[in-house]
Amino acid sequence: MTTIIPADPPLALQLDHVARRRAGRVAVRDLSLSLLRGQVLGLLGVNGAGKSTTLSMIAGALRPDTGAIKLNGEDFLERPELARTGIGWLPERAPLWPELNVIEHLDAHARLRGLRGAALHAARNAIVERLELQPLARRLAGVLSQGQRQRLGLACALVHRPTLLVLDEPANALDPVQMAALRSLIREQAAAGTAVILSTHVLSEVTAVCDRVAILHEGALQHEGMVEAGDHAALERRFFEIAMTPRPAQAA
Amino acid sequence: MSMLAVARLEWRRLRVRPLAWVLAALTLAWLGWNFTVLLGSFLAGQIQRAALPDGPGFTDLVAVPLLGQLAQLAFLVVPLLTMSVIAGDRRNGTLPLLFAAGVPASRIVLGKYLALLGWLTLWLALTLAMPLALAHATDLDGGKLAAAALGLALMLAALAALGLACSSFSSHPAIAAAAALILGLALWSVNLGAQMAGIDGGAINWLAMSAHVQPLLRGLVSSADLLWFALLIGLSLALATRHLSTERERG
Repeated sequence: MTTIIPADPPLALQLDHVARRRAGRVAVRDLSLSLLRGQVLGLLGVNGAGKSTTLSMIAGALRPDTGAIKLNGEDFLERPELARTGIGWLPERAPLWPELNVIEHLDAHARLRGLRGAALHAARNAIVERLELQPLARRLAGVLSQGQRQRLGLACALVHRPTLLVLDEPANALDPVQMAALRSLIREQAAAGTAVILSTHVLSEVTAVCDRVAILHEGALQHEGMVEAGDHAALERRFFEIAMTPRPAQAA
Repeated sequence: MSMLAVARLEWRRLRVRPLAWVLAALTLAWLGWNFTVLLGSFLAGQIQRAALPDGPGFTDLVAVPLLGQLAQLAFLVVPLLTMSVIAGDRRNGTLPLLFAAGVPASRIVLGKYLALLGWLTLWLALTLAMPLALAHATDLDGGKLAAAALGLALMLAALAALGLACSSFSSHPAIAAAAALILGLALWSVNLGAQMAGIDGGAINWLAMSAHVQPLLRGLVSSADLLWFALLIGLSLALATRHLSTERERG
């Protein structure tokens, strides 16, 4: 009898020795990470740890000074158009054009990501339905509440069905019901094969929804591992160990 | 295709922005009133001019002066229109969304420029519609009007490119508008001193926008003037592109 060993899902994202300086200081140093399709990676770190810079580089909004970022095995720094169709990004505080309404936002994002005609309408209608945005469809982004803005930002990140979803503190300003809906959406995306990377300050968010966790501190990766069920206390301990330990340069 | 997506997005933003509508309504009302005044004065002097064999006609006395009024308004309207195009995106935090969508800086700039040209073309066309509405009843000099319209179109395109460049360098739309207004006026009148001193040639006169628009308003189309506008537009758009590329690199 032959045993068929299931192959690992393909690699969605790979960071090789990525580094980046911002405003005269090292924001990210020598960062190497990988993420399989269908996996959810939680990125933890205190403010200024380099999470947003890392996510901006992964999303294609910022170029690393050194290192390589591969999306589905291809270097997207050399082929920036790969980021266009393959990555969905929700930056911190969901930036929106205040004069456009919800539908116009989704159409604009879909067009920027290469969708046209019937495919665009189908994708937009599907995400409006999935995120229950129908009551807000004609409302201007400038008058949306913070939670509604966050939902619209999430819809914009998902409208073109990316293979990698990059979420920068997506639970900001969401109420508990919306947070539960967000968790369910992330799990649903992962089950469909989308790799998800999310940064958060909320440790319980990581244990609830992530398969793996990475902790950044002062721009460097300090911990990376799988998230086990009921692992919250251990993760919290590890996080505080890293966050409270000054680096040698800082201690001096 | 990404350039068209940016152009469409910017066009939509221009269409729903109250400022664009207010500017269009106020300026067209002002131009309409001026057209009526110019037309009244043209009709009043018709009998005296009939005695002159080569006297000025409807084009010289109504259509071209109306376009001259548009040129004056453009110094204020174009900076107000262009100020938020990139600086507004920077303030909203939406500029990184365009970078993340893999749109090269050149296409962001060209897409936004196309949308601005669309609005300005509409503005010029509505102004031109006033004298053209009387084309059947007057002796309209089509060639002269076409040259003047070309001059105005090039001037608007140049001011839009300059405004776009100012917007790309600024984080505050108001600063971008002020910079575009001052640069536009400076470029128009840089040769004022030379003109007062009776100097007609030289680099300072070549640099002045007025020296390239006025011949076109008189019906004279020269490749040197067209080249001057192409250079100004190209340089402004190249500067805007370069600045956006640098911003993308530096973060």
